[in-house]
Amino acid sequence: MPLIEIRDVSVAYGTPTRPVLDRVSLAIEEGEFVCLLGQTGCGKSTLLRLVLGAERPAAGRILVDGRVHHQPDRTRGYVPQKYSLFPDKTVLDNITFGPEVCEFGLAARLTPRFFRRRREFRRQAFEYLQRIGLEPSDAAKYPDQLSGGMQQRVAIAQALITRPRILLMDEAFSALDPGTRKGMQRLIRQLWKDTGATILFVTHNTHEALRLGTRVVVLAKEMPDSGSRVMLDLPVPEPCRDDDIPRLVRRLESASTSSDPLAPASALSEKW
Amino acid sequence: MLRGLLVLILSITAFAQKPSFTVGWSIYAGWTPYYYMNKAGILRKWADKYGIAIKVQRFDYAPSLDAFVARNIDACAMTNMEALDMPAASGVPTTVVLIGDYSNGNDAVLVRGGLQLKDLAGKKMLLVEKTVSEYLFDRAMTLNGLRDQIKRVRLINTSDSDIATAFLGDTSANAVVTWKPMVSQISKQKGIASLFNSSQIPGEILDLTVVRTDVLNRPDGAGRKFAQALSGAWYEMLAMMSAAGPAGDKVLAAIAEGSQDTLASYKEQLSTTKMFYTPQSAAAFGASPDLKQKMALVRQFCFDHGLLGANTRSLDEVAIRYPDGSVQGKADRVRLVFDLGYMQMAAGGKL
Amino acid sequence: MPAAFLLIHAKPSRAWSVLLSWTLFAAGIGAYFYVSHARHRDNPEDRVMPTIAQMARGMYNAALQPAEEDEATAPPDNFVQRFFGSMLWKDTRASARRFFYSMALLVPAVLLGLHMGLFPYAGSFFLRFILFFDKIVALSLLPILFIAFGIDELAKVMLIVIGVAPTIILDTFNLVRGVPAEQTVKAFTLGAGDFDVAYRVVLKQVMPRILNSIRLNLKSVMLFLFAGEMIASTDGLAFRIALLRRHMGMDVIIPYVLWVALLLFLVDLGMRRLNRMLHPWFRES
Repeated sequence: MPLIEIRDVSVAYGTPTRPVLDRVSLAIEEGEFVCLLGQTGCGKSTLLRLVLGAERPAAGRILVDGRVHHQPDRTRGYVPQKYSLFPDKTVLDNITFGPEVCEFGLAARLTPRFFRRRREFRRQAFEYLQRIGLEPSDAAKYPDQLSGGMQQRVAIAQALITRPRILLMDEAFSALDPGTRKGMQRLIRQLWKDTGATILFVTHNTHEALRLGTRVVVLAKEMPDSGSRVMLDLPVPEPCRDDDIPRLVRRLESASTSSDPLAPASALSEKW
Repeated sequence: MLRGLLVLILSITAFAQKPSFTVGWSIYAGWTPYYYMNKAGILRKWADKYGIAIKVQRFDYAPSLDAFVARNIDACAMTNMEALDMPAASGVPTTVVLIGDYSNGNDAVLVRGGLQLKDLAGKKMLLVEKTVSEYLFDRAMTLNGLRDQIKRVRLINTSDSDIATAFLGDTSANAVVTWKPMVSQISKQKGIASLFNSSQIPGEILDLTVVRTDVLNRPDGAGRKFAQALSGAWYEMLAMMSAAGPAGDKVLAAIAEGSQDTLASYKEQLSTTKMFYTPQSAAAFGASPDLKQKMALVRQFCFDHGLLGANTRSLDEVAIRYPDGSVQGKADRVRLVFDLGYMQMAAGGKL
Repeated sequence: MPAAFLLIHAKPSRAWSVLLSWTLFAAGIGAYFYVSHARHRDNPEDRVMPTIAQMARGMYNAALQPAEEDEATAPPDNFVQRFFGSMLWKDTRASARRFFYSMALLVPAVLLGLHMGLFPYAGSFFLRFILFFDKIVALSLLPILFIAFGIDELAKVMLIVIGVAPTIILDTFNLVRGVPAEQTVKAFTLGAGDFDVAYRVVLKQVMPRILNSIRLNLKSVMLFLFAGEMIASTDGLAFRIALLRRHMGMDVIIPYVLWVALLLFLVDLGMRRLNRMLHPWFRES
């Protein structure tokens, strides 16, 4: 049984309704690193939010571990492009937030046991801090004292410390400059290998998708007024050789722009 | 055509050159006639006769006093107490030109729960502090030999616009001192009794029309003409009011309209207001030794309550001159003058 | 170049900035005393615009002598004790008590706004009514307030709360709605429950903005407090002003008004300091 199963899912927004997703089906096995690729507005973030449980489909079903989830919970970690950290908490508190709320309710946080347990959480948090490449001195900083790349590193640590089986990343690196982005890609790839988590990674950057994923799924519209469908489901050879990349990029880009022949194919090929 | 225009311009400039005066009034049975005098053109007629212009403006009571003290208006309707503690004590010499009436039951001390004056110590009492309401209460206690208990009553300063609802709405308040029409409103409720009212201190709460002395003494004489016009118009008005039968009622109804009131309610208020309908009666009251005695009580109250100002060290610093030439207080510090001249002129038909 | 000092790009020196910022104060004070002096030359007993000496004396008496309605006890010789027995202190304490009660009652208002913003059922239940209630001029409800809450402290505090709470509720509601959806989703994915999200995530990050909103509403709070005290009371700063107005005690009223302004300024400053202390991460944007 696949870990995430998307069955004939359709979504439409607004009045008059504008279809966004049209009978999308997708099965993701445990341990896969799936990159969801598509142009802006093709519905790839919508699909991610459906898997999160933050939104419900108009038709179809989404099963995670065999169950339908009506709201986000700790089985699926989440790293959005922006606003991923709590601005009012220090780096350390951001990372320990997950373990704290998992074990202690609002009132239980006043008990002495909580303070003993928190010491353990903090020790763990420092471990993660090191793994994502931050200095222990960064622990006391507030998010807006960190660079964008640092913030996303902390956001990943924050999501991983609760050990979710699935990690959902929505354009997580898109706001970063190319140098930082490359480092982040290396980091997430390493963490994926270490933790064995299943990752669903939304991006509009073809090179990034190829570089990260074990599988790239392209969402695109067949007609300008219809909802998006899965246009291509491409396993990425492991390891992906550099001379394979131009060919794969061409394939992916022709798939994702099929509805719009006028758009230059290079529109998606942002360099890393 | 050209001549017509010229006449028009001349008449406009003549109008503009006419000395103009403003009289302020607020809603009270004895003052609402100003509304009708203005509306029915009585005031205009007398102003024209004396070659001046008179404007009438309605105020709330406290702002009318402020406007008078700030010299923004020339004449104002107020009580004897306020004439003393507002303009006179603020160094704005003031002359009483008309004695309109005295409160003869308009102001009252009301209680609930069958209390007596002697039971009021420690009880809550609503009133507008530092006004005739507090004076009435002070006199009620004094006359009943309870002077030493005055300080023990818990006074709650309450705005007159809200005092009726406040007293009726809050049953923890035991007593209230106020004036009509609020008194009538409150008395309608069951279980409210009147312990004392102003008919028990006749002539102590006077309702006057006062003019600033410096306006009266204007070198061009227009100030005196203003007072004469006011007096003429006032007694013409009162004569109409006191007419018996439907003619009088029609006038009273028109006056009542000036305070959004009904004829019946206005008549009820007049029944507890001793109007001096004729200039003779007003002048006679002004000339009687009674006036001096009553003013002595009022000025003592004002002084005791600091109403004459923090800088007034002695009662005699705000002096009052009476028609017979006698002065209460220091002769060089006369601030309030009772001038019967205008009422006497009206009585003698010399206006 | 000659008129450059009027332009957007002008760069006044520090000395000039300081000088300019105090000019209007100096002009206002100067104009007051000029007019006051002129009025007193004209009428030595003028009470509308007291001189500085009169105001100083008025304030001295207010700050060191008991109120007229209080029993005169033997004056303590200690300066501080005299202040704490004075009219000014008595009035300030009475007004401050009402002020802080109302502030405390704004806490439920904030919580209501928070819940309305986060929980759709609470939002549907309250929002329309509070939007409507917000438009009601609280002062016009006075008779109802008297009947419902009497004429004592409660009515005055409720007047303030009814006047200010809807604004605070709606402000909180909008601030809560303005928190990016990513934040709540993220919290849920980390295992947080509904109340963790409400109190540990959303409330904590909108708190500094709510404090700012309350700070901006201080003046309304004061306005309603003054209206309440002027309508019916036995003590308080506005009670005294209303009473003194009855015989033009401007020599005390003007210092009282300045005293109120100073207190309000200090409360505002205190809240700003507190905000910065409690929320070091917060940047005004």
